[in-house]
Amino acid sequence: MSLKISGLSKTYPNGVKALKNISLTIGNNMFGLLGPNGAGKSTLMRTIATLQDPDEGEIWLDDLNVLKQKNSVREVLGYLPQEFGVYPKMNAVDMLHHLAVMKGITNAGERKEMVDALLNQTNLWDSRKKALSTYSGGMKQRFGIAQALLANPKLIIVDEPTAGLDPAERNRFLNLLSSIGRNVIVILSTHIVEDVRELCPRMAIISNGQLLLEGSPAESLDSLKNKIWSKVVSTDAELTAIDAAFHVVSTHLVGGLHEVRVYSDSNPGDGFTQEDSNLEDVYFLSLSNQAKN
Amino acid sequence: MFWEFFLFELKFRLKGISTYAYFLFFFGMAFLSVAAEDFGPVGNGKVLLNGPWAISTVYIQLCLFGIIIVAAIFGTSILRDFQRDTYQLLFTKPISKFDYLGGRWAGSFVAITLAFSGMIFGTMAGSSVPWADHTRLTSGHIWWYVQPFLYFVVPQIFFLGSLFFCVAALTRKIVVVYLQGVAIFMVYVIGITVFSATRSLERFWSGIFDPAGLLLQDGVTRYWTVVEKNTLLMHWTGVFLYNRLFWTGLGLIALIVCFALFPMSVEALTAVSSKRRAAKAKHLEQEDPRPKRSLVAAKLPTVHQIFGPATTWRQLISLTRLRLSNILREIPFWALVCLLIAFAVNNGYFAGRIAGRDVWPVTYLMVQAVEGSATLFFYIVATLYAAELVWRERDTHFDGIHDALPMRETTDWLSKFIALAIAELILLAITMVCGIFMQTLAGYYHFEIGQYLKELFVVTYPQVLVFILFAFFIQTVVSNKFVGHGIVIGLFVSLPILFRYGFENTLYLPGQTPTYTYSDMNGYGHFVAALTWAIVYWFGVMAILAVFSIALSRRGSEDSWSARRKVAGQRLPRLVPALVFFLVVAIASGSWYYFNSHVRNEFLSAKQRRAIQADYERNYKKYELLPQPKIVAVDSKIDIFPERRSFEGTGTFVLQNKSDKPIDQIHITDSLQSVESVSFDRGFHKVSSGPRDIYTIYALDKPLQPGETARMTFKVGYESHGFRDGNERPELAYNGTFFDSGYFPYIGYDRNAELDDPRRRAEEKLPALEELAERGDPYWERVNLFTPQSDWITYHTVVSTSGDQTAIAPGYLKKAWTENGRHFYEYDMGPTHLADFFSYLSGRYQVKEEKYKNINLQIFYTPGHEYNLDDMLQATKSGLDYYDKSFSPYQFDQFRIIEFPRYRQFAQSFPNTVPYSEGMGFIARMKKQDDIDFTYFVTAHELGHQWWGHQLIGGQVRGSNMMSETLAEYSALKVMEKKYGADNIHKYLKHELDAYLRGRAGEIRKEPPLVLVQREPYVWYQKGGLVMYTLADYIGEDKVNAALKKFLDEYRYANATDSQTVAYPDTRQFVAALREQTPPDMQYLITDMFESIVLYDNKALTATVTETPDHKYKVELAVQARKAKADENGNETPMSLNDYIDIGVFSGAKDHEKPLSLKKEKLTQEHQTFEIIVDQKPTRAGIDPYNKLIDRTADDNLIDITSK
Repeated sequence: MSLKISGLSKTYPNGVKALKNISLTIGNNMFGLLGPNGAGKSTLMRTIATLQDPDEGEIWLDDLNVLKQKNSVREVLGYLPQEFGVYPKMNAVDMLHHLAVMKGITNAGERKEMVDALLNQTNLWDSRKKALSTYSGGMKQRFGIAQALLANPKLIIVDEPTAGLDPAERNRFLNLLSSIGRNVIVILSTHIVEDVRELCPRMAIISNGQLLLEGSPAESLDSLKNKIWSKVVSTDAELTAIDAAFHVVSTHLVGGLHEVRVYSDSNPGDGFTQEDSNLEDVYFLSLSNQAKN
Repeated sequence: MFWEFFLFELKFRLKGISTYAYFLFFFGMAFLSVAAEDFGPVGNGKVLLNGPWAISTVYIQLCLFGIIIVAAIFGTSILRDFQRDTYQLLFTKPISKFDYLGGRWAGSFVAITLAFSGMIFGTMAGSSVPWADHTRLTSGHIWWYVQPFLYFVVPQIFFLGSLFFCVAALTRKIVVVYLQGVAIFMVYVIGITVFSATRSLERFWSGIFDPAGLLLQDGVTRYWTVVEKNTLLMHWTGVFLYNRLFWTGLGLIALIVCFALFPMSVEALTAVSSKRRAAKAKHLEQEDPRPKRSLVAAKLPTVHQIFGPATTWRQLISLTRLRLSNILREIPFWALVCLLIAFAVNNGYFAGRIAGRDVWPVTYLMVQAVEGSATLFFYIVATLYAAELVWRERDTHFDGIHDALPMRETTDWLSKFIALAIAELILLAITMVCGIFMQTLAGYYHFEIGQYLKELFVVTYPQVLVFILFAFFIQTVVSNKFVGHGIVIGLFVSLPILFRYGFENTLYLPGQTPTYTYSDMNGYGHFVAALTWAIVYWFGVMAILAVFSIALSRRGSEDSWSARRKVAGQRLPRLVPALVFFLVVAIASGSWYYFNSHVRNEFLSAKQRRAIQADYERNYKKYELLPQPKIVAVDSKIDIFPERRSFEGTGTFVLQNKSDKPIDQIHITDSLQSVESVSFDRGFHKVSSGPRDIYTIYALDKPLQPGETARMTFKVGYESHGFRDGNERPELAYNGTFFDSGYFPYIGYDRNAELDDPRRRAEEKLPALEELAERGDPYWERVNLFTPQSDWITYHTVVSTSGDQTAIAPGYLKKAWTENGRHFYEYDMGPTHLADFFSYLSGRYQVKEEKYKNINLQIFYTPGHEYNLDDMLQATKSGLDYYDKSFSPYQFDQFRIIEFPRYRQFAQSFPNTVPYSEGMGFIARMKKQDDIDFTYFVTAHELGHQWWGHQLIGGQVRGSNMMSETLAEYSALKVMEKKYGADNIHKYLKHELDAYLRGRAGEIRKEPPLVLVQREPYVWYQKGGLVMYTLADYIGEDKVNAALKKFLDEYRYANATDSQTVAYPDTRQFVAALREQTPPDMQYLITDMFESIVLYDNKALTATVTETPDHKYKVELAVQARKAKADENGNETPMSLNDYIDIGVFSGAKDHEKPLSLKKEKLTQEHQTFEIIVDQKPTRAGIDPYNKLIDRTADDNLIDITSK
């Protein structure tokens, strides 16, 4: 399957340009969507998830026109919104059964099998009879994951899925997702670079509604090979000086001192050491390039 | 710090728009109450619209609505910090509890007092607008605007505010804040309804404990006359003082409690439960099991998705179940159910009481009672949950998941509709169970389940659904749930108001259905068609809105109108079939309704009907004194077709010229549009005819000479076509037809067709209603009071009806036969003279008959209504005995009571024929031996009219009406006294006294003395019955009856001869007859009670008892007696006292007194002391203990006796 997005633009009534002429092609497997808060990730995801119409552009899922044949898309869709709530006083089993019916799983046996499997997978089995409204943030997020995976979706859109998960659950979820993701399209939006690095054969970075970069993490990393340098500085003055002189990618605090990473084709000298590039560098560099343009 | 909090709160309020909105609300309402007399609670009459009573009334009623505002302002002031989480900042600062609470409270108090002061400015502004009715406005009394505000409104704000403040501060829940105002408002309103249903005369304790003041004001001012209402303010005495003290005290207590218990910390008082919740949450968190599975993700099973109609159906079921369980798991829903049950049970308890009298709680009454209060809850649930359902996904933030599910908008929308529809079904079923339960409790076991099902599920339920559709649409369109609530409730409230202002058309008042009445005799009868089509029409219209609701329903994250319109455009094509279908339904049913209500029948609003009346008076009153012949004989042939609600017939009048001049024109009034053709036994032609043939003038070729008679033949009839938009004629029914001579042509101008409401007359620019002529007026003293077109007639009729019914008209049955499957009856009155007042009835009757002293007694009743047949017969027999013996022989040898549907609630005496409404005596029930037997009373009263009204008729002058109604009332009281004893009558007369005093307080013209009564039923019934009974008590029953007998002997059948040689009697002769029998020292009673308006203020002051050496008891009783004469407006002038008044000593508890000594003493001074020696230990003593005299404070006449 493949999802073709072409020329997608969206301007909100308040004037915010959420998407600017975005074109993307996404095939089977995991696709990571990186971007800062307010970049337009969620708008893009909601648009693909049929919850919103763009002003311009088209989206095709194979030969389905996503913007027109919404219900056909919804049949194969598994969607986990960034934020969601639950009905009060409903428990997970009942709710999942309900959602399974809504997704067309009419065979009761299959439905039960699937619901039980998901409850196990998301580690909600023991709490399945408890009201969803009493769930903690993490549990609720896992419930969200479970409902998105009902009905073997062909198109999975998960918006910030790992937010609120503890490390163990995060791993488990990512494992689950990648095991499913080989044969279906999974779009994962996140601002956690790590998630993408671990999971996604392909990725895109968007910011301010623009597509900054599309490719595989590996390719992107390759392009930065030997071009990332770092230095630990101790004073703010020094930091300011470096910021003025070099293309600073990021600064981190390490034991109370600033570690500055800069982008440079050659060794900037003066105590800089070459570093292995990581995806975060790709990310920050894309953003800072956009800011400069 | 106090000042800072105070100023902050005040500034906050003064910055907010809501304070001004409240001010404007009060200003506007008060303004309109004065400037538009129709708008406010003061109503018709002579009470000044800006007089002290009117202003107080307006303030009190506005305060009632103000409860909700007070709750909102005071509650939120304390809750704000908790809602906005600023309490964490505040409570960590060094502020004292007093500063914090006091400042907030005082700021709110001042702000809200300013908002409420809109009332003062509103009434003031209303008083000065040029278009207001200046005959009902006064100026120069600033204190009248301010005093009620200071005395009533401010204490009201104080205690309500403090109460709400306390509750809000201690619970810290926003729901509580908003609910407490509404809850108190509702509980109060329903409590008032229930209290009025008991028809209790008690106004002391109820006045004191009345928080909103409706009963308080009623208690203090109920007997105030116009003059008093226009000059007196309520002030700090008696019940008013106690009430204000009590509630202000309660407010203070609330403040103290609040101050004492308010924790200056994060924890609310309800912290215990929230602690428990926190603990539970923590527990859950810990329980949250750690992963114990392999780290490798297992493969998920493969499932099959099937989409299609079957799946859509299952989606609908699943969604509906989800939504329904959402509703049913909510506490507010069950709280509403509990309230519904509470009110249904309460109202159900009073279903068996009509106007304070016990009746059998037959199913229609019980349904009416339980449904009456429950309907409000049906609509509350509809309003609330329509909004909840429409907004549920957005409110819970589940919309992201929900909206991306593969379902159609229609499925989603239908699931909401069905869920709410099922929730309403549950409410309806509960209501039904309450009704059946309450019937069982009342000992009535004839459960008509079918009637419950019809009323609740067939009639009411669709209307609730229509309302739900509307609420869904509004909530879909608006961008905020609460705005939606406002619009939905606004519509609900505005419908009756619009209706009142002349917007009466069912087709444009959303959800409106024509009024209907269920009757045991006739079921839903002729209302079915109009009701059904109105419901279908509105269902169609609202379903169209529903289709648009589906198209416009929010899905996805975009809420902008342009986006929703675009989406709606995409969805609409699939919805077109439904849209077309409902459009066809709405147009078809609406057209059919219009065709029936506007084309087949003439549609007239109340105002248009009044305009017709007014035109009639304007155009034809000039003919009122034109000599016309009198009807001396009536012969008719009437065919009733109950199945078509129609009748047709022919009639012949024998007209006689009783004047001394020739008559060349005959004028005919046809106010019911039932006369088709008129012809005379000589040459004639039509001269003119008014619109709708309401007034037609015929000229006779040969004038009718004095004394000469002519025959006039005419066709009458009325054909019902289809249905009307309300205002169906109640006379015609499938079972229980009852119409009278009003459908026959009326000779001359009919002054009874004139508008009599002064306000309506003013609206139509008519002068004040012409008063009845003075006694002795040479023209009117010769005109029959009841039937000016005639004196007395002889009567013969043949009446037919369908084969399954019996037809009845006055007269003796001469012949009955069947022809073409129809029943025919010939009734003839022979030579006996009748008033020209006859009726035709038809129904499926069962007959109970008895022959008593050669008189045939018959009751025509509906099977199932057997409860009081024996009682009615018993009353008839006792009445016949008493009246025969005391007054004159009964002129007929039959007496018939005939039941008719409860569309009209009265009994009416036609010659030997009394139509009696099914809603009155037929279902009456005597619960206790000493209850008032109203059926007995009414039967005796109507029988009494066979003497007073059918033997004795007065002239058409002032006072004559009392000679029929007062004397029938007196006769019935005496007959009832024979059976139930004097004590029972005294109890009854207390209610009569109350009704009289309230009647005169509400008088819109002027109050006449009894012998000059014109149109004042409270005078001729309640005052008349009371004073006649008292007179008989003072001078003796035999004396009064002797006077009546002599009077009747002399004037019975006055003018029954061919010529009008003598005048009809009037009250001058009547009074003379009474005076003749009254000893000289009692003559003042006639002057006072009959010829004047005299009020007493009798009061027992102290009563003490000492035991005498010979073991008797000596009671020392100090009393006060005052007497005053009132004029027609209620201005009183004191009178000197020289009166006999009962002085009594009693044993037994209050309201169960047994007389030990009761003597009439002559009182000449205001204060007098009596010593009475009795044999038994006395408990109560007083003056005029039975309220035989008219006394506005009736309950202070007796007091407890204390030991010395």
